[in-house]
Amino acid sequence: MKQVVYVAWRYLAYHRWKTITLVGAITLIVYLPIGLRVLVDQSSRQLTARADATPLLIGAKGSPLELVLNTLYFGSDHPALTRYSEAMRVTESGLGTPIPMYVRFRARGHPIVGTTLDYFDFRGLEVAAGRNLAMLGECVLGSRAAEALGAGPGDNVVSSTESVFDIAGVYPLKMRVVGVLDFADSADDDAIFVDVKTAWVIQGLVHGHQDLNRPEAAAGVLGREGNRVIANASVVQYNEITEENLESFHFHGDLSDYPLTAVLAVPPDQKASALLQGRYQSDEDLAQIVTPVAVMEDLLGTILTVERFVVAGAVIVGLATLATAALVFLLSLRLRRRERLTLFKIGGSRLAVASVMASEVVVVLASGALLAAGLTLLTSRFGSLAIRALLRT
Amino acid sequence: MALLLALVGACGEAGSSDSAESVGEAGAAGEVGVATGAEGSTLLVYTVSYPLAYFAERIGGERVRVEFPAPRDVDPAFWSPGPETVVAYQRTDLILLNGAGYASWTDRVSLPSSRLVATAAGMADRYVVVEDAVTHSHGPAGEHAHGTIAFTTWLDPTMAVEQARTIRDAFARARPQHEEAFDEGFAELERDLLDLDGRLSEIVAADSARALLASHPVYQYLAARYDLGMRSVHFEPDEPPSPAMWRDLRGILEEHPARWMLWEAEPLPATASQLRELGVESVVFSPAGNRPDDGDYLSVMEANVRRLATAYGDTPER
Repeated sequence: MKQVVYVAWRYLAYHRWKTITLVGAITLIVYLPIGLRVLVDQSSRQLTARADATPLLIGAKGSPLELVLNTLYFGSDHPALTRYSEAMRVTESGLGTPIPMYVRFRARGHPIVGTTLDYFDFRGLEVAAGRNLAMLGECVLGSRAAEALGAGPGDNVVSSTESVFDIAGVYPLKMRVVGVLDFADSADDDAIFVDVKTAWVIQGLVHGHQDLNRPEAAAGVLGREGNRVIANASVVQYNEITEENLESFHFHGDLSDYPLTAVLAVPPDQKASALLQGRYQSDEDLAQIVTPVAVMEDLLGTILTVERFVVAGAVIVGLATLATAALVFLLSLRLRRRERLTLFKIGGSRLAVASVMASEVVVVLASGALLAAGLTLLTSRFGSLAIRALLRT
Repeated sequence: MALLLALVGACGEAGSSDSAESVGEAGAAGEVGVATGAEGSTLLVYTVSYPLAYFAERIGGERVRVEFPAPRDVDPAFWSPGPETVVAYQRTDLILLNGAGYASWTDRVSLPSSRLVATAAGMADRYVVVEDAVTHSHGPAGEHAHGTIAFTTWLDPTMAVEQARTIRDAFARARPQHEEAFDEGFAELERDLLDLDGRLSEIVAADSARALLASHPVYQYLAARYDLGMRSVHFEPDEPPSPAMWRDLRGILEEHPARWMLWEAEPLPATASQLRELGVESVVFSPAGNRPDDGDYLSVMEANVRRLATAYGDTPER
């Protein structure tokens, strides 16, 4: 047996390029569909893990996918805005804890996530350096955001304008970094967290300025109607919140009308979850409630359909490749007729000669299969890292 | 091929354990709004006003540790805590808010909303809007910043009872095993508050049309509860009023001939004397906004009731 394998091995080594080509082809045929399956499986688990951990999302009627992607992964396109009254509605229902989310603004490419302290408890986010949010105008950085911005407790981060062309729109706000979070291995690592009220300050709904009742602010007064002072556009609004001007910050209008991108609702149990979902079934309701995992599964269903086509294509190509390989082998048998005759004449039995030919095929197939298995193992071990890196970009 | 299938199966299991870690990590964080202390531990409560601290202490007894961090020499209505104090508030089991715009500093800090208890939230229909508050808007069509809502809700004993009831309910949710004790504490407090209410009603009934003055606009809920004919000025007990202020007061007295002015604390002797010349006597009715040097909210209110009784009995008492 050893001699048969030796002769087969020497033949394959002599014709190394043909051997490498055949082994490479077999490897690809076997690895492509399996590796793709493993990657898709890992991707769907990565994408659904965060959705799995998020019970319910409430937002304005529109695309559920946009709502989920913006709230869970802080995508740059925000959904249609809903109102703070939706968070109050959840509180009043007694069916869950609302966590308001306002993910609209950015600072040097990093999403600014306006929320409340309950979000940190919910996601299990711990502060690694400094402290958590306490005062208006403060921010806490995710670990990767801190690294990318080169900022830590005591530094400042300035929000970006929403549009270069909207000069009367959102002004940049200089925010004080008070803390950096532990690495969470999620979208939270790239985010800049602020209190939702600070996000409203960025939008200009909450602002601070001189006291209009004071004589030195007279230039900013357009007129007076009874007890109402009407300010003109020259009133300078603070673009940084400090200890000195903090108390001047105030709200205009009704808090219930203030905008949010979503409300994350955390019901205490399945029954409360079902009851809460039942309250949003009316067609006249301006809000929708979605289960993130269902939305992600719909998205992944589309991806899996595409994957099935790709795998089917890979299988067809694989069969064609195998057929080609078989043809190459059969042709090579014909070309090696004199070689086989020589082996027979020097004392090799028919069985031995057939074994040499068969061994060559087995070695090529086994090498290809082993390489494919190795690549599949590597994919399963490191594929999730590659996926996370891809999701971050 | 069999080896390959075994390898693929092993890869599948490895993938499952990876995802279980990431789901578990997120899932462990899935609970929100749970009181920080263990079930048997003392409930830690922070309040934004002294009356709420008093109510919490009466209801909770030794099962509750109540903190009200405003300094004694500061008016808590205008106090703002620093970041360290805000962090202390964040770490408690419950934060008792008054509502009605009291403690406006809470609008400018981050507090865990799942632990906030808005004690007067259910009485928004009884809030008193301060009519002459100055507001502002940006541009003629801009939304206005809200005018002031009077916030001394605890001066109406019936509203104080409702605030205490909300506190009792919040305590019972956080520590259901002590619900009976909280009910007992609330019942005793309710009796005391309703007793105050009864006595005040009797005093005012003796002369329901009596005109009164308030040195400061802090008695709106007292006036609303007992239908007091009260007009406010802006005198400070420790500062002499300006000539313009005296002029305004004379103008008020012409159409509102009051004979008693309620003060938050003893006025300056010169001020009291000048008021007497105008036919107005002074009586202290402390709003009980901060911890007294002696006694507590109830003893302060009982002293208020006695002094008001004197005023309605028309016997000047200092």
